[in-house]
Amino acid sequence: MKRTLSGLGRGFLFKLNGWTLSALILGLLIFIPMAAVLWHLTDPSENWKHLEETVLTSYLKDSLILVLGTVFFSVLAGVSCAWLVSCCEFPGRKVLEWVLVLPLAVPTFIAAYAYFDLLAMIEEEMIPLVIWARTKSLEDLDTVIFLLDSLKYPVTILVMASVLYPYVYLLARASFSRQGSQLIEAARTLGYRPRSIFFRVALPLARPAIVAGASLVVMETLNDYGAVKHFGVSTFTNGIFRTWFNMNDLPGALRLAALLMLFILFLLVVERILRSGAKFEEKGTVVRSFKRYRLGPAGSTLAILCCLLPLTFGFLIPLGRLSLWAKESYQKILDFSFLELITNSLALAAASSLLIVLVATFLAFAGRYFKNPAVHASNRLAILGYSVPGAVVAMAILLIASPFNLSLGILLTGSLFTLLFAYLIRFLAVAWQPIDSGMEKNCDRLNEASQSLKASPLVSLLKINLPLIRPSLWAAGLLVFVDTMKELPLTLILRPFNFETLSTRTYDLTSNSQIPESSVPAICIILVVVIPVIWLNRKMEARK
Amino acid sequence: MKSLLAIFIFLSAALCANTAEINVYSHRHYDSDTVLFKKFSQETGVQVNVIKGSADQLIQRLISEGKNSPADVLLTVDAGRLHRAKEAGILLPVESTKLSQNVPDSMRDPEGNWYGMTVRARVIVYAKGRVNPAELSTYEDLASSKWRARLAIRSSSNIYNQSLLASIIATNGPSKALSWAKAVRKNMVRSPRGSDRDQARAVASGLADVAVINTYYLGILANSTSAADREVARKVGVFFPNQNGRGAHVNVSGGGVTRSSKNKKDAIRFLEFLTSSESQQTFSAVNYEYPVKIENNRSDLLKSWGTFKADKVNLSILGSRNPEAVKTFDRAGWE
Repeated sequence: MKRTLSGLGRGFLFKLNGWTLSALILGLLIFIPMAAVLWHLTDPSENWKHLEETVLTSYLKDSLILVLGTVFFSVLAGVSCAWLVSCCEFPGRKVLEWVLVLPLAVPTFIAAYAYFDLLAMIEEEMIPLVIWARTKSLEDLDTVIFLLDSLKYPVTILVMASVLYPYVYLLARASFSRQGSQLIEAARTLGYRPRSIFFRVALPLARPAIVAGASLVVMETLNDYGAVKHFGVSTFTNGIFRTWFNMNDLPGALRLAALLMLFILFLLVVERILRSGAKFEEKGTVVRSFKRYRLGPAGSTLAILCCLLPLTFGFLIPLGRLSLWAKESYQKILDFSFLELITNSLALAAASSLLIVLVATFLAFAGRYFKNPAVHASNRLAILGYSVPGAVVAMAILLIASPFNLSLGILLTGSLFTLLFAYLIRFLAVAWQPIDSGMEKNCDRLNEASQSLKASPLVSLLKINLPLIRPSLWAAGLLVFVDTMKELPLTLILRPFNFETLSTRTYDLTSNSQIPESSVPAICIILVVVIPVIWLNRKMEARK
Repeated sequence: MKSLLAIFIFLSAALCANTAEINVYSHRHYDSDTVLFKKFSQETGVQVNVIKGSADQLIQRLISEGKNSPADVLLTVDAGRLHRAKEAGILLPVESTKLSQNVPDSMRDPEGNWYGMTVRARVIVYAKGRVNPAELSTYEDLASSKWRARLAIRSSSNIYNQSLLASIIATNGPSKALSWAKAVRKNMVRSPRGSDRDQARAVASGLADVAVINTYYLGILANSTSAADREVARKVGVFFPNQNGRGAHVNVSGGGVTRSSKNKKDAIRFLEFLTSSESQQTFSAVNYEYPVKIENNRSDLLKSWGTFKADKVNLSILGSRNPEAVKTFDRAGWE
């Protein structure tokens, strides 16, 4: 009897050891607040019927337009620029290779401020048309108004894509460079033209990386609140805030958030199915430097223009406009308190990147090395926090913290510890995606080998996995650092007393409609982020 | 002995200085507040700690923290949220002769849960030269077809619009309010977006002829570091609607002492300080808001917009009618 039971137990706890058990617990701990949100999926909210009858379809429509448009342009810009700088040779390539990452430093809500003006300018160009239409029939007027109204979609998509494409660019570039010479050179020897090499060899090989980058773009787009609010696009996120704040209907908002999470979950599953159907592994670990295609004068000009386009929209225009505003207002706003803002932002971002990269590496490794389905599942659950708006994560934390606050008298809200935990929930996916896909590409086979050689998991992690996925680790750290620096809603809700960061100060000033003044902390964010972006980018280059 | 006593006094003073502080959750993010909080600390020795955020999130946080919340005071930018905080049971009814003197009856909670601090008027601004002010009359008139494709107004997610519609529901009834919202949506020249300042900009640029905005935004524009913004303020005129009827729609920014407060005495003192006539002048001078006693306004800029009759509806109505207003906006298709 005893024997059967223990046998049963062994079967049930299939491959459960210290590693997988702690990964499981950690993953579920991170998932708990999100589970609290999902719990509300079927909550009977009094306003649900009202939402269904009036606004739900427009939330869906606007979200879909925005996501599809943004992903399309991000992938287009990210992949073509990545291909050009990693596989072609033209004047200025080396500079473009790293400056193309710079738009990452611009938060969407700040970019939106820079472009809000631009949209007004386009509108101003259309004023004669509107005045003309006012004198004409109602149909003409309606057509013109409709045209004017529709402008918000392309403009929002442009703003989002031009600051989000680096997610695709970074991961695609890493993939193109890792592919190295072998396959592409083999294809070349076989007489393939560059165009078919790109479409038939490089692109399929880079697909997991591109899909990973695109899914980051989808989540960032759905999470944005600032830009969509400015341009008047009613996305799902907008609806969550509206239901929560304006209708004072927390259950309804949680139900909307739960729906959004389910949708992302569905996307992640689809992504996984797509990826498992296309599992490519590079043979050999030696990556020789790749002989790039040398472009002629016409080709070079075209390539430079192609790279400059997203850079201009994503970085040069926003920074240029902000600088102009800052020139007008810096004397009024700049003082010693800015040093504290910068230190706060930096310390917070550094601490959270370290924590999150550590946790992500551990979870990804535990999942991949032991091939434990339970850990795989809990990992997928743990990264869900990235799929809901930051304010919803804060909402979830308030929900979870409430019983502790009330009964234990330990105030969890308003401590840096809680804030870091919130960042962990929110940004784990950002680190986990590149680390996991790095391990998938580089380590799976070797881990199998090291397991059959009876090497300990720790040795495999330290000696095989970490060195091989170093570029992915750097990318993960870079992305989390940048995201934390730019993060707004979580910091706003959960920060301790008198604790201000650059982004909360920017928010204060923008919500006070002091756009010229807000440009000063906004530029500080961009400059602070740009330095590590460049530095980490160089590191990634060096490790190639 | 004397020196011992002196040390004792010094020590206790130092201790008091350490312990005397109040924690403020505030939706207000204005320079005027920074100035006034500093002044309060200098005058009383009570340190003011602030967390700024949206009122809704701060209220949520207060509910979550319950009796352990460190907050002593909640400040919001409209009466509707104060009403909601009261309903959620996180505010403490307080009484103080100074507060009763400083704040008129219609600008505070009858039970003393919250007190108004500054007044904002929601007015119509028009393009000087293109629009004759005689064409303007009431908020209700903005639904007239003569404004077709000429109106700019911000999103219905904004609390100021919700309070405006709440007052219209309270006056004209729900069905008339719905047809008003539908007609106004139709009269908009573009789908609602941006801040009140952006609506004023649309009027100045010629895209729209009239817009609905809060007066203090015009003050911010007029005193902006940007020349283009100052030009916007010059190009638009202020019209106070419904002067022959109930008066222009006003709302307050105000605050209340939280139920969790560990320092009620200083929290009340803080509210008394903010509503004192001296502080009130700072609000209108720095942030262009009207004093809670509108007639006490001494700012020249605010005077230049003219005197007006304010809607006397009890401001807690704006809070109780708020959910209905939001749903009405949804039904009207006003994003």
